[in-house]
Amino acid sequence: MSPWLALSPLLVVGIGSLTVMMVDAFSNKKDDLSILSSAILIAAAAIAGSLWFGGLPPQTPEILAPYLAVDAMSQFFNITICGGAALCAMLAGGYLREHDLERGDFYSMLMLCAFGAMVLSSATDLVSVFIGLETMSLGVYCLVAFRRGSARAIEGAIKYFLLGSFAAAILLFGSALLYGATGHTDLLGIGQTIRNGNAELGLALVAMSMLVVGLAFKVSAVPFHMWTPDAYEGAITPATAFMSVVVKAAAFAVMLRVLITCFGDPLSAGAASGWPPIIAVVAVVTMIYGNIAAIYQSNIKRMLAYSSIAHAGYILIGVVAAFRVQNTAVSAVLYYLMAYTVSNVLAFGSLIVMGTRGKEAVTFDDLAGAGKRHPMAALPFIIGMLSLMGFPPTAGFFGKYYVFNAALQADSGMHWLVIIAVIASAIGAFYYLRVIVYLFMKDPETGAPQAVAMKSGYVVTALVLSAYFVLEMGITPSNYLKMALAAAAGLV
Amino acid sequence: MEVQLGHYLALASIIFGIGAIGFLTRRNVLIQLMSIELMLNSVNLTLLAFNRWASSDHAGQMFAFFVIAVAAAEAAVGLAIVVGFFRLHHTVHTDQANTLKH
Amino acid sequence: MSIAAISFFFVCGAVAIASALITVTQNNPIRAAFSLLAHIIALAGLFIGLQGHFLAVIQLIIYAGVVVVLFIFTIMYIGPVPKPESAGRPSFAKLFSIAGMVVVTGAVTYAALGYSPALKGLNTCPEAVAECGQFGGVEAFSAALFRGGVVPFELISILLTVAVVGAIMVARGRLIYREKPRRKKQELSIENNR
Repeated sequence: MSPWLALSPLLVVGIGSLTVMMVDAFSNKKDDLSILSSAILIAAAAIAGSLWFGGLPPQTPEILAPYLAVDAMSQFFNITICGGAALCAMLAGGYLREHDLERGDFYSMLMLCAFGAMVLSSATDLVSVFIGLETMSLGVYCLVAFRRGSARAIEGAIKYFLLGSFAAAILLFGSALLYGATGHTDLLGIGQTIRNGNAELGLALVAMSMLVVGLAFKVSAVPFHMWTPDAYEGAITPATAFMSVVVKAAAFAVMLRVLITCFGDPLSAGAASGWPPIIAVVAVVTMIYGNIAAIYQSNIKRMLAYSSIAHAGYILIGVVAAFRVQNTAVSAVLYYLMAYTVSNVLAFGSLIVMGTRGKEAVTFDDLAGAGKRHPMAALPFIIGMLSLMGFPPTAGFFGKYYVFNAALQADSGMHWLVIIAVIASAIGAFYYLRVIVYLFMKDPETGAPQAVAMKSGYVVTALVLSAYFVLEMGITPSNYLKMALAAAAGLV
Repeated sequence: MEVQLGHYLALASIIFGIGAIGFLTRRNVLIQLMSIELMLNSVNLTLLAFNRWASSDHAGQMFAFFVIAVAAAEAAVGLAIVVGFFRLHHTVHTDQANTLKH
Repeated sequence: MSIAAISFFFVCGAVAIASALITVTQNNPIRAAFSLLAHIIALAGLFIGLQGHFLAVIQLIIYAGVVVVLFIFTIMYIGPVPKPESAGRPSFAKLFSIAGMVVVTGAVTYAALGYSPALKGLNTCPEAVAECGQFGGVEAFSAALFRGGVVPFELISILLTVAVVGAIMVARGRLIYREKPRRKKQELSIENNR
């Protein structure tokens, strides 16, 4: 297979973003850009899918070999990332017009970020991990600062930027030490050197902890979550949706690759030594803190930010389980990420649809009674919340189920982890249900601001699509799990 | 006496530590950005030192080359955000960034 | 190893550490930027000592020529900042983080000093010859880069596009509306800032 064909999803997104930039420069109708960019992203997802099902090359083309993988897992993430980004572009189409923020650079930046996320999720070398991470992160910092006249946006961006660059520097120092310990920068070579016992083990373990810190920051695991609520609140809602789905998916992809390919050897992946106990502790703290902090939020976006922290905790359980039952656990994580992508787009999309300019849903009080006034707009909100909560016929339920199941299979010592996770998600049900209670059972106080639903074809399309997938993944989960299993098999 | 790999690594870790402490303690965004540049510089030094001692190809130097490119891009974006921050607050102290609830 | 090479290392190392300290402790950002410049030049010297001749040049061009100039340009654009850094009592978290970093750095430094593996046989230039087409020179480095590193090299171009588009996106244009620091719930409109 020629390298061009193997890279085609990336090339489509990269060239597509430049096309969007050009169209932006020469046209006056900015809402066309929403259609154009989501069409390009969906096309890229379709190309990734046809590459995958049309038969992947047994070996990555030589020129790409050490840097980018062209395996089933990278195609899975290409589909997830491009799909999530396309939905966010549609949300932006409605949101930017409603709030009179229409600037075409949002779409080209969104696609460039998606490009970085795709590079990150298929990176198999520390160099391409770093470049992909920075491409994605720099773009996301700018997306957060998009509404540059707003103090909140700039503040969220500056906090995110400073902490993100600090974490990137730590990750980079870890990569440098790992290179020194093994003499390789490609993940496969590093893994083999460590397995053969030719590495400086002490140095490699220090490097591993630094890499874990850097990656934990990107997935916003506690105690590296400080930026998350501020950045989520400061960014415009479509950008928040993008951050919570695409950035998270790509960060978990690279986390799985680094931990399993580099540190999959018995010593650094042992139950008593190495990364599994560290990640297990991080997962517990993340779940408990995320869920409890979410209860105390009055701002819905901040609540969703803490909910995304909590979800990172659940996904980390799957990452921990991957040290024993690699295929089951990795496929559970992949399924979870896909389910989380559609559920979260649905949640943020409903938040967007619940507001017109000047009358948007910011706090819970704004939502009071909105379900009675706009029942059709409240419906996707309910589905999204139930899915994030993990209610049975939705994608979120099976995501949690598969991850917990993988943890139970992995090791008898992980039962306590699952018990804590179940308790944490029970706590989580409180604040998800609170949204529904406010929507339907509360009446707005007299004189208080009320959210008014907007009308936008783009947002409705995105909501219908994501609601479809949330329900479809909940009703026939086995199809998607098969896909995730096939993708997980690609990970060495 | 010889200058050993250990000397270079010690130097790099001191610079990294200075950068990290500067980042954590200073509240001037510009200084914080410079601290991040210091940290990236120490990574470059580490990479070159390891490349000199631990391997026989240019992998480490190539990595350092890309790190330099990324650092320049990061400085550009970071300073753009700082300019945006300054326009709103007329200061570059992150203590002023307290609009959002904690 | 000659005495000259050893003293070169120690001089460059001392300058690098001293200028790094000045950078992070200086209250005046211009002075910090200039000591960052000194730091970068010292590091370029260390790179030469490590047979990274090409990277030493790149370091000078990119860091000294681009990054520091960008910093100074921004500092000049911003102008003198009215409020100096508050010299209040350092918080517990701050002291804790300083102490933690000092301990970690000290431990790593101590561990690193005792680490002295043997040099691998590299095709290096003879001492005091800067350019010989061997390890670290432009010829050898670019051959390695364009044979083995084409993919990241091309990915960097997208990264630079992101930086350019992003910087324009964030910092372009004049400010039309200035948001009040703590706005009330009644004025939840989003300002027009096209």
